[in-house]
Amino acid sequence: MNNDAFLPQIARIDAVRDETPDTKTFSLRFREPDEARAFRFLPGQFIELSVFGYGEAPFCLASSPTRSGMFETTIRRTGKLTDALHRLECGEEVGIRGPFGNGFDMEGARGKDLLFVAGGIGLPPLRSLIWNVLDERAGFRNVTILYSARTPADLVYKDELDEWARTSGVEFHMTVDRGAPGWSGNVGMVPVLFTKTALRPESTIAYVCGPPIMIKFVVQDLFMRGFREESVISTLERMMQCGIGKCNHCAIGHRYVCRDGPVFNFRQIRELVE
Amino acid sequence: MSRIITEAGLRELAEAWLRDGQAVAGPSEVKLGLIQYRPITAAARLLFDGFVHPANSIKEFFFPRHEPLYRYRLEGSRVVLEDCEPPAVKQLVFARPCDAAALPVLDHVFNWDCADEFYNRRREATTVVTLACSRYDDECFCTSVGLGPAAEQGADAVLFALGGGAFEVRPTTAKGDAAFADRTEESDRTATPFAGPPRRVALPRVEFDSPVWEDATLECLGCGACAYTCPTCHCFDIVDEGNAAGGMRAKNWDSCQFSLFTLHASGHNPRHAQPRRQRQRIYHKFHIYPEKFGPILCTGCGNCARQCPAGLGVLNVLKAIEASHAEHLPA
Repeated sequence: MNNDAFLPQIARIDAVRDETPDTKTFSLRFREPDEARAFRFLPGQFIELSVFGYGEAPFCLASSPTRSGMFETTIRRTGKLTDALHRLECGEEVGIRGPFGNGFDMEGARGKDLLFVAGGIGLPPLRSLIWNVLDERAGFRNVTILYSARTPADLVYKDELDEWARTSGVEFHMTVDRGAPGWSGNVGMVPVLFTKTALRPESTIAYVCGPPIMIKFVVQDLFMRGFREESVISTLERMMQCGIGKCNHCAIGHRYVCRDGPVFNFRQIRELVE
Repeated sequence: MSRIITEAGLRELAEAWLRDGQAVAGPSEVKLGLIQYRPITAAARLLFDGFVHPANSIKEFFFPRHEPLYRYRLEGSRVVLEDCEPPAVKQLVFARPCDAAALPVLDHVFNWDCADEFYNRRREATTVVTLACSRYDDECFCTSVGLGPAAEQGADAVLFALGGGAFEVRPTTAKGDAAFADRTEESDRTATPFAGPPRRVALPRVEFDSPVWEDATLECLGCGACAYTCPTCHCFDIVDEGNAAGGMRAKNWDSCQFSLFTLHASGHNPRHAQPRRQRQRIYHKFHIYPEKFGPILCTGCGNCARQCPAGLGVLNVLKAIEASHAEHLPA
């Protein structure tokens, strides 16, 4: 084979779970057992997923590498490719290239307090890291998860949110921008949750992922509360197309998001010029 | 002593390659007044002189406009992929030095971290013979980017027109030597050095945050002609051509000058205005690429300006940057 870099491996859809009216989680397994065994990734890395006939697009790995044999990705129906993907059923096949990108710095997180702040569909990349941390719980100190969505219907991984809320050693809070009948939880933007938890800026790494406007306000708030730029981390979204730093779609300044990212701290993000 | 070949000898060389089933490409008049690099089927079509620069570049013989990567088809619910082989056919390409000089520059991006075997296979299979320039136009600025009318970068042999249908041959690699073995005669005629265009711009420090981008590039239409005819621009897109039952995955040329280039499915577009896209292109060429790989991503060929319907081009933007620096000098 001479074009490995562009040739996907084939994965089968094992399960499809409806998260919200427009978002599904796909459990995928490589068709070839050898490929399944060889597939190693870090939380924060991404794959190029092909729906043949529609093309290929980047999506984050949403499952933890500690759960091997399969992997998951959570995808909102937004365009032609995701529309076609949402029509696929169990047993149908897609193409996978990757994993690509740097992923979260797991070693740098060991022994630290971890604060996860996610908004809406921004939870999937953090979910990979959260489960990895919980599966290796002894390696990390306090784990705090703050999650927000527009409405209760927009919350993803609803069963797991309950599980995190019940897990000892995990502090979990969530809020929605607008309530709905039957919702008795918090209402308001994600910064309202900062008042419910004791923040320890000097010993904490904060992982922030969500819509740009949410990231902007959360990050400002964190800096005001004493977090340093280096210890606030996010993952950037760009139209990564080749995944190998050649096609230039994801170039921001001297960085290729697909190779140098997609995980950056806010000191690096501040230096990125579009 | 020098080695000489006649124009008839060059055409015989091209014919010999074609007879052996190999490919030949070079400057050719594709219609009245339009000279482009094209694959040719008869050596008579090749032009060796009488023009400044073809309207395109030779990059398409290494990095084609459209390249099938593999074919896919659905058998029941099973996806079957068939790898596409990069061509192994040898090619002989005649080019201007500013086109050949782009090749060692492009080698960096197509090989860092992960090699593009399609590109590499074509690079290995190709012998590049450059036609040293003996004239220039208002858009040429090779001498401003460290090259010149007889630059050897990327060339396997350089030809110098001596007049009277004769060319001096200076092979620079073993491939170039092999191409001309037994085809040249010894002579005491050598080419007169030619200085090329005057230096037109001192490569300015490229500031990212500057009003010059908006001022100098607002007229850009975003057509991508500059990028498509540039020997060094290498943006591409990966698309499916076919339907869900079968088709091909292909790599097609793209350009950072297109408004769709960075558009997300969500509607968010990180580079939302044309001056931002122009800034990306120029900044990438003169700042980002050299920082990452060493060489600048420009050979001064001038095609961007020749082909621009809005009268822009790299040289004009660089001059505007230079002028803006001069304005800001302390009195």
